[in-house]
Amino acid sequence: MSATIQPFDALTFRKRSLFVGAPVSFFICLAFLLNFFVMPSLGGEADAATGSMAPEAAFLVSDTEAHELIRLAYSENQAAQANPIREEPSRASGRTIDASEDAKDADPWEDEPESMDSIPDPLEPMNRAFFVFNDKMYFWFLKPVGTGYGMVVPEFGRVCIRNFFTNLIMPIRAISCLLQGKFEGFGIELVRCVVNTTAGFLGFQDVARQGLGFEIQDEDLGQAFAFYGIGPGFYLNLPFLGPSTLRDTAGWVGELYLNPLDYMVDDFWPNVGFRTLDIVNKTSLRIGEYEALKKAALDPYVAMRDAYYQYRLNQIEK
Amino acid sequence: MLCKRLTMVLFSLFMLVAAESVSVAGEPTEHVRKTTDKIIAIVMDPGLKEADKAREKSRQIRSVVDERFDWEEMSKRTLARHWKDRTQNEKNEFIDLFGKLLERTYLDKVEGYSGEKVLYMDEKVEGKYAIVAVKIVTQQETEVQVDYRLQKKGNEWLVYDISIEGVSLINNYRKQFNSIITRSSFKDLMEKLRSKVEEQN
Repeated sequence: MSATIQPFDALTFRKRSLFVGAPVSFFICLAFLLNFFVMPSLGGEADAATGSMAPEAAFLVSDTEAHELIRLAYSENQAAQANPIREEPSRASGRTIDASEDAKDADPWEDEPESMDSIPDPLEPMNRAFFVFNDKMYFWFLKPVGTGYGMVVPEFGRVCIRNFFTNLIMPIRAISCLLQGKFEGFGIELVRCVVNTTAGFLGFQDVARQGLGFEIQDEDLGQAFAFYGIGPGFYLNLPFLGPSTLRDTAGWVGELYLNPLDYMVDDFWPNVGFRTLDIVNKTSLRIGEYEALKKAALDPYVAMRDAYYQYRLNQIEK
Repeated sequence: MLCKRLTMVLFSLFMLVAAESVSVAGEPTEHVRKTTDKIIAIVMDPGLKEADKAREKSRQIRSVVDERFDWEEMSKRTLARHWKDRTQNEKNEFIDLFGKLLERTYLDKVEGYSGEKVLYMDEKVEGKYAIVAVKIVTQQETEVQVDYRLQKKGNEWLVYDISIEGVSLINNYRKQFNSIITRSSFKDLMEKLRSKVEEQN
């Protein structure tokens, strides 16, 4: 595979901006609008308050504290706006106030023991159609290709290639850290990138983790948006991309800007080649997982939707 | 691509693995560790390695798992608000089938055991409930966060839910079952469950 590695040039960047910019702004606007309808808690006041507070706080206190402060400022504003009437929102659920024997035995970690809450899915028929499409894509194309590739390239090599692509998209993680006030994470990502790109042979080896114990920061733009109080909107199952939400799709589009691959490999076919390699390589390391999900589920679509929902909540909390 | 790390996470559903770490651990952790160690011993037993011993092997794993997993509590939590509408017969049949489905999924994972490490990270106890947080490190150095939720019954701590990377198994099945029951009926759910269990065995 021959690829012309080009330096960053302003003209192509502008061309790309036009191409990517329109959908990006569309999705982000949509996500914000939706946020105001779905959870009308983050008003203009909240923006003003945190806007004046966040930067100061960020530079005066330590990273974790800054992160906490920004988060707190938002949640306080949200709480204030969500419960304007209730003077003292009852913190305890009905279960704990109840002095019955049952209440004493109630599971302390299950917020709502019988909760059916899940992500809104107004486009379910479309999502289900794409779910079937992705399923066929996987079994008819990706899996056979991934299996063949896996037979040719040893696992060690595939892990190296995965590391390379992970190292390449450092800007996505770094910027997402920065947006959330996680300055330590931002620093770790920068150091990781420098160390792995040099000592780790262009990122093929994750020496920053093995040698220095600098763990990869699992952050993305979707999580950064969530940090600012943007709700998931609704569930989307996209062709080729799989499970997502309106917010996370907006994040994904934004990440197209932050992916250095597009700036380094500008020609169409080499770019597609690299992307295909990335996808096939990743698939080859994960064959059997989707099958396991399907095998264990009575309704694989619902299983996937809920797993994605719970998984993202867990990521966002961290 | 299809679902990024998500599938990796689900793959590890019920993955049981070698015990390491000797951090301070209370009773719940000890109980989880005991069961985990027993299962690993069975999986690694050279006497059970041959193909014709597969049945005996899963029988042994099954009996160890049965001691630690509270199938009834799991069934109750999974059906949630649909539970109280069931007759005793329906409940019993559901517990049996759902238990079999979970066991099968579990066995599939356990039998693929290849030297993953288990680190016991944390334990929280509140009354008769406990969470044991475990980290599984695969040979590719991928770390998977697993939480066991346990409830004390008699002298034993019994598992009623497992979360992998924040994805609770019981919550996941609850959504699926609820969707099936509200769309059609409990009878339909039982039929689906029955055919799923048959297809797997």
